[in-house]
Amino acid sequence: MEEQFDAIVVGSGISGGWAAKELCDKGLKVLLLERGRDVVHLKDYPTATKNPWEFAHRDNMPESVLKENPVLAKCYAFGETTEHFFVKDKEHPYIQEKPFDWIRAYQVGGKSLLWARQVQRWSKFDFNAPERDGFATPWPITYDDMAPWYSHVEKFAGISGNKDGLENLPDGEFLPPWEMNVLEKHLVAQFKTHYPDRPAIIGRCAHITQPQEIHIQQGREQCQARSLCERGCPFGGYFSSNSSTIPWAQKSGNLTLKPNAVVHSIIYDDTQKKATGVKVIDAKTKEAAEYTARIIFVNAACLNTNLILLNSRSERFPNGFGNDNGLLGKYICFHNYRGSITATYDGFNDFVTYGRRPTMIIMPSFRNVRKQEMPFKRGYLVAFTAYRGRGTGYDGLGAELKNSMTQAGGWGIYMMMQGETIPKEESHLRLSPDKKDDWGIPQLITSVVYDENDEMMLKDFHEQGVEMLTKAGCKNIYPNDSKQAPGLDIHEMGGVRMGKDPKTSLLNKWNQFHNCPNVFVTDGACMTSTGTQNPSLTFMAITARAANYAADEFKKGNL
Amino acid sequence: MVAAATGGVVIGGEFFLAGCKNPDAGVGTSATFTESDIAFLDEVAETIFPKTATPGAKDAKVGQFMTVMVTDCYEEKDQKAFRDGMKSLNDACEKMHKHGFMKATPEQRKELLVSIDKERNEYQKNKKREDPNHYFQPFKQLTIMGYFTSKEGRTGATNYQPVPGKYQGDVPYKKGDKVQTGLS
Repeated sequence: MEEQFDAIVVGSGISGGWAAKELCDKGLKVLLLERGRDVVHLKDYPTATKNPWEFAHRDNMPESVLKENPVLAKCYAFGETTEHFFVKDKEHPYIQEKPFDWIRAYQVGGKSLLWARQVQRWSKFDFNAPERDGFATPWPITYDDMAPWYSHVEKFAGISGNKDGLENLPDGEFLPPWEMNVLEKHLVAQFKTHYPDRPAIIGRCAHITQPQEIHIQQGREQCQARSLCERGCPFGGYFSSNSSTIPWAQKSGNLTLKPNAVVHSIIYDDTQKKATGVKVIDAKTKEAAEYTARIIFVNAACLNTNLILLNSRSERFPNGFGNDNGLLGKYICFHNYRGSITATYDGFNDFVTYGRRPTMIIMPSFRNVRKQEMPFKRGYLVAFTAYRGRGTGYDGLGAELKNSMTQAGGWGIYMMMQGETIPKEESHLRLSPDKKDDWGIPQLITSVVYDENDEMMLKDFHEQGVEMLTKAGCKNIYPNDSKQAPGLDIHEMGGVRMGKDPKTSLLNKWNQFHNCPNVFVTDGACMTSTGTQNPSLTFMAITARAANYAADEFKKGNL
Repeated sequence: MVAAATGGVVIGGEFFLAGCKNPDAGVGTSATFTESDIAFLDEVAETIFPKTATPGAKDAKVGQFMTVMVTDCYEEKDQKAFRDGMKSLNDACEKMHKHGFMKATPEQRKELLVSIDKERNEYQKNKKREDPNHYFQPFKQLTIMGYFTSKEGRTGATNYQPVPGKYQGDVPYKKGDKVQTGLS
């Protein structure tokens, strides 16, 4: 007999893992579909404990691989130690109408194995911004709606942080914070002196600094400060679907995990007036199959969620799933990562750091927070770190140079921006009318661009960052514009945005399609605006909230 | 090239198949290095990072590492520049000491490379962005990278902590203390 499922979750990354966990915890039978191979926690981390000399190129990629992967080659986390977790360019082509660096990870756990693990909450200012400043359709949810769900996911995932009492970056459920080093403390104090409205805090990150009962139940241990996270953690020190939500859901007995299952489309039934299941292509055999369930969560990661929905055409929805207003695939946004600044500092030579800290110092946005006051819209978060280099210089050679390079050198500072981008209709995705991938699915066309607002914000960050570092006594201050294409931030959002009005949005306040309530979208695609914070925590909280609502409605017989 | 000059045996095929993933690498390609090339590169590296109280570049097999990196991770024009650089270095030795680099004493080698490194430093400071690097640049870069990522260099010359267990923001440091390193 064919297995019966109450819910199907498409995608096992950071949000799909949460959807599966919450639905399973509520007693629903869940089919979790993943287009890539299985990656089992601990067992499938082949490089996790290898020494540098065990890699032929010491974590550098051969020129032939870089040439074959012009997009992937730009990703900071791609190297000899992590290459097995990334999609290679050639295997999954897409069409860049405008340059977009699409970084993908097709395996159980998806990009949750590779993410940067920084988890700052959004504030009320972020949720209110589109309505206040009129640059996007209003969010249908508020910070107060989200706060309990932030807490819910934070407690389970394990988040280190300090209670800083900032209205602009609300506190959460924190394990002990990481320490700042002597220069970072100096910089924070200097910034605070010169700019009272610019407090900076130790970053909140998804690392277990002190395991609680809930983490021990997951089989996870304290982060060992190795900072090799992208290889998969043998301690379960950071949160991933693989280490946390998926094995938890499996323990419930309610989960069926099916890797190598490429979702082609969502099936809509015109007589029942709802979605009945999904069409799946086997990644290896290319055979098609259909799975049915009463609830469907689409968590394929932003661009692929858009792709699946655009490819889900029926008599009712000829232009893509739920796309009555023609806005599906539009208002794609991301984070502006172009700006960075490097500097040096003389002094504090009596101290070094021990171990490797998995977070930075974070200064929440200080532009347009309480009112619109700059010539550009919204703002940017500033992240920085101070570190000691090696040796006294690169000149000369012999015993003197070797000896020098085995010792700590002067202090360096790295500062970067994470800017909000304004969603615009022009930045969109659509399907190729003729080009298909190896699974018979149309290729995605990306047409996503920067605008004048992004340029102004970049300029402001450079000016403010240089000024702050100068006032704090730094030297050799060099601003840089990476000029990187959208996408390399790996914070793509939108295309299936939430909203109050079905005319200007696709999803309601519970992430259901306005016109098909048994289909939920809770990954980056659902985002109405981007905020300045790293987005994964918000994806997780939105997912947990929607999944609990879905399970309750299911039990009431409403779905 | 150096191989031709010394009549060394080409060992490219087997070595490269085992050590790297470049499908184009193999016997007879311009990128293959001989055993005598590796010996030559080992001596260059050892002059840059000699054995002291801590292991030297030769202990860390930096010569062999350089050949793997140049073959697999360098673009063709940089591979050629590296091969030409080996010859330039040897020619400079002929000029300074009246014999090739392999026949030079450690003192003569150091004298030569100190002088080439000064030249490198001047050149790199004044060159335009689009100009190629000085020929000695990759020898120095690869020696430093290869040494500190080798077992001998990493464990012998630095305070290697593959599993720190914790992070401390401020630990006292005095000049001469070995720098702490991790797995990456």
